[in-house]
Amino acid sequence: MSRINDVGGMVGFPAIVEEPDEPAFHADWEAHVLALNAALIRRGVYNLDEFRDAIERMPPERYLASSYYEKWFTAITTLLAEKGVATPEELATPEELAGA
Amino acid sequence: MPDRFAPGDAVRTSTADPVWHTRLPRYARGAVGQVVELAGHHPLADDRARGRAGTRQAVYHVRFAAADLFGDGDHAVTVELWEDYLEPADHQPPGQQGGTP
Repeated sequence: MSRINDVGGMVGFPAIVEEPDEPAFHADWEAHVLALNAALIRRGVYNLDEFRDAIERMPPERYLASSYYEKWFTAITTLLAEKGVATPEELATPEELAGA
Repeated sequence: MPDRFAPGDAVRTSTADPVWHTRLPRYARGAVGQVVELAGHHPLADDRARGRAGTRQAVYHVRFAAADLFGDGDHAVTVELWEDYLEPADHQPPGQQGGTP
């Protein structure tokens, strides 16, 4: 059962459009997500392969509708809940972070 | 355990399609390519993603003709693949033995 992320060589997906002068982050919350993931992996809460697996387990319709760092955020909250570290309700959503 | 393959070896990738995380992309399954170089030794990602320690084994850069993977294109595609994903290219996959020559 190949997952939704495994689209290499499939037709119907348009070419990736590169932004001129693309910033490292499009919003501050993306930088928080990057730092949070690095800290959790370094602390041994989960490993990089578990993180990739969690992204790939996203429902296809949600995976396709999510931005790069939205996928990261989803995987982090999924793993924190599965590892018993925090519930999704205890974590701020990207929308809440943006409004903070 | 010594490495099974060396640069220049022809290898065939697994056709297995596991339900878990794997680093063998669908487009490169069941394909024949050539080992370019050893890319170090690492625990199998499929195991690590499932909370296991993972068997430490060779990872290779394997080059395929794009036309072999996609039926089109005159370029090459190089994929980083764990030893578990690979068999010697002259190895007959199960179920394909005993056919008419």
